[in-house]
Amino acid sequence: MNNSQSIQSEIKRFLKFFFQELKPQGKWLTPFNIITIPIIIVGLIILYFRFTEGLGSVTNLSQKYPWGFWIGFDVVTGVAFAGGAYIITFVVYVMRVEKYHSIVRVTVLNGLLAYIFYAGALVLDLGKPWNIINPIIGNSFGYNSVLFLVSWHFLLYMIAEFIEFSPVIAEWAKFEKLRKILNSLTLATVIFGITLSTLHQSGLGALFLMAKPKIHPLWYTEFIPILFLVSSIFAGLSMIIFEGTISHKVFKKLIDPKHHHSFNEIIFGLAKGAAISMFVYYFFKALIFVHGKHWDLLNDFWGGWFLLEVIGLVLIPCFMFAYSVRNKSLGIIRVASILSLIGIILNRLNISVITFNWNVVDKYIPSWQEIVVTLMVISCELWVFRWIVTRMPVFEKNKNY
Amino acid sequence: MESYTYLNIFETKGLEYLLLMCFLVLFVFLIRYLSTDKEKK
Amino acid sequence: MDRRNFLKTAAAISVALPNGKTKAENQNVEKEFYGVLVDTTRCIGCRSCEVACSLEHNLFVPDITKDNAFNSIRDTSEKQWTVVNCYDTAKGKVYVKKQCMHCWQPACSAACLTNAMFKTTDGPVIWRENKCMGCRYCMVSCPFDIPKFEYHEWNPKIQKCKMCYERIIDGKKPACVDACPMDALMFGSKRELLEIARYRVYSHPEKYEPKIYGEYEVGGTGWLYLSPVPFDQIGFRTDLGNTPYPEYTREFLYAVPLVLFGVPALLLGLNMLTERKNEIGKTEELNHE
Repeated sequence: MNNSQSIQSEIKRFLKFFFQELKPQGKWLTPFNIITIPIIIVGLIILYFRFTEGLGSVTNLSQKYPWGFWIGFDVVTGVAFAGGAYIITFVVYVMRVEKYHSIVRVTVLNGLLAYIFYAGALVLDLGKPWNIINPIIGNSFGYNSVLFLVSWHFLLYMIAEFIEFSPVIAEWAKFEKLRKILNSLTLATVIFGITLSTLHQSGLGALFLMAKPKIHPLWYTEFIPILFLVSSIFAGLSMIIFEGTISHKVFKKLIDPKHHHSFNEIIFGLAKGAAISMFVYYFFKALIFVHGKHWDLLNDFWGGWFLLEVIGLVLIPCFMFAYSVRNKSLGIIRVASILSLIGIILNRLNISVITFNWNVVDKYIPSWQEIVVTLMVISCELWVFRWIVTRMPVFEKNKNY
Repeated sequence: MESYTYLNIFETKGLEYLLLMCFLVLFVFLIRYLSTDKEKK
Repeated sequence: MDRRNFLKTAAAISVALPNGKTKAENQNVEKEFYGVLVDTTRCIGCRSCEVACSLEHNLFVPDITKDNAFNSIRDTSEKQWTVVNCYDTAKGKVYVKKQCMHCWQPACSAACLTNAMFKTTDGPVIWRENKCMGCRYCMVSCPFDIPKFEYHEWNPKIQKCKMCYERIIDGKKPACVDACPMDALMFGSKRELLEIARYRVYSHPEKYEPKIYGEYEVGGTGWLYLSPVPFDQIGFRTDLGNTPYPEYTREFLYAVPLVLFGVPALLLGLNMLTERKNEIGKTEELNHE
């Protein structure tokens, strides 16, 4: 009796607290709000037409281009960018490198939100989204499909990320007992999450294995899954550098100065990791290029495009990272992280959209509605991110932790 | 696949191993470059 | 009663039972896939098959007398499951019917995560609306670009030829085969059709290209084609290879359970290893003190 009563009062307290926290803090008319609110409103209007008139009414998808910007950018690229979470949890919880502990929470939060929003964007692209439960509840398990694997992994990974992040929520809501229980789950969910990550990062590449006759031979290889996995490492690391640099400016007040100082050291460590993984990735690309005997393909436009991606946006940022680590130059690291992020966007879009059916005359170009909806998804994610970091102990460390 | 003549699918293997050795040497240089600190020198 | 007959009666009983599963997918009877042989040297481009198909499945019925469709190369669409195209070749005009090839090992059904695209034991690859979630991965995977999606419907369907699956179950031929006045289309098991096709090629080598498209392509297809000219001249892709498309994802899907078991073990091992190192470090520290 006593126990249930106390739980009831706890829940009551939490609900009151929660509604209090829901209220906006600070000024309303910030530049960020002025930009994102119209985008979200327009995006919602576009989505209304998308769900009443069909995908064709707002997208430029066609029978030759069944997957466009929403899949190629939101899902395939977004998930690669979220790769930082599994790298950092690996380094901190499995390898016990304490140096990176202070960025674990924000990285996991970023990963979780990226999965919720970008993998969630998949639902917008489905023709019959209400049937999305079919592969999950088990009335039609398509085990033979790579997409089956990827969708299950998205689901499980979101749960794992949520559990990894949940101690922060418990801390915020002052559920002391629950926090201890959730904390004890961390290592198990981290290991589970890393395993899932390796599989669905590569699985996103494996989706395109059966599109062999459609993808340009410079990009198609049976090693696409491995390339996706390796490139997700530096995609994730570059994203942490990029995003960390911004949030350290925007949320300066929330971060204690001690952390601010150590963050530079962290960035150099991450840049080192990015340089090494990019070098390995570049070797893989070179090896596959040689094995495929593709020299003659370098002569046309696609050859140049390929070299731009592989040399301009992998090898050059790789050297920039290495140079900046040695010379302790934060500026070059920032430029290098942006370049390598562009390289990842280009690589993922090349495989999923740009060189897909490269010899077809009617090329697919995303419509403005597709881009607005993508911006809407990003805006929504940033809103939720801002809401969480301004309320929950994401940046500052708890004293008793 | 309708080839009626000999097709060597491992034609590029020698080149691949050469590439591998080049990259291994370069990789050692990269690691050394990254792990030495300019300030400490 | 031998095994085959026993199975047949067992199947018949299970069909007759009220609760018995009547779907073809649940029958374990050994049977061969059906297919169709298309002899393009016989086709005169009358397009009766197009009309018959559209009438059978309530699709858009083309006005074959007026629409001048042969002026351009058409593709099947979400409104028409089959089209006939005309190619000018060294041996005159060649008419080629296009529809789903009904692959032996279809990429689309391997791609489908809900089993909506489904290879029936009779041979046709069918699409099941109540399972599909509209992800269009079948369209990405199909080497022939056959599944078509209704982009302008709020509740879209995937549209593609299903080899008149219901008619085959009833013991009838597909509508297009029935409609063909020239016997350019022939319905049967692949074994029979290949025999006939080879016989035709051998007895009239001057008339046919010595190749049966679909015999080996993408692991073999249900629809087979004979042509008077090389197949790349009449709109076929000859670079698709003979590997069944699901094979391309096979290694990856094999690796999944290995990774799901191996990687956690490895990670846990690494974690314990680093912990042990710390312990030794600590004890050494203690010893130093």
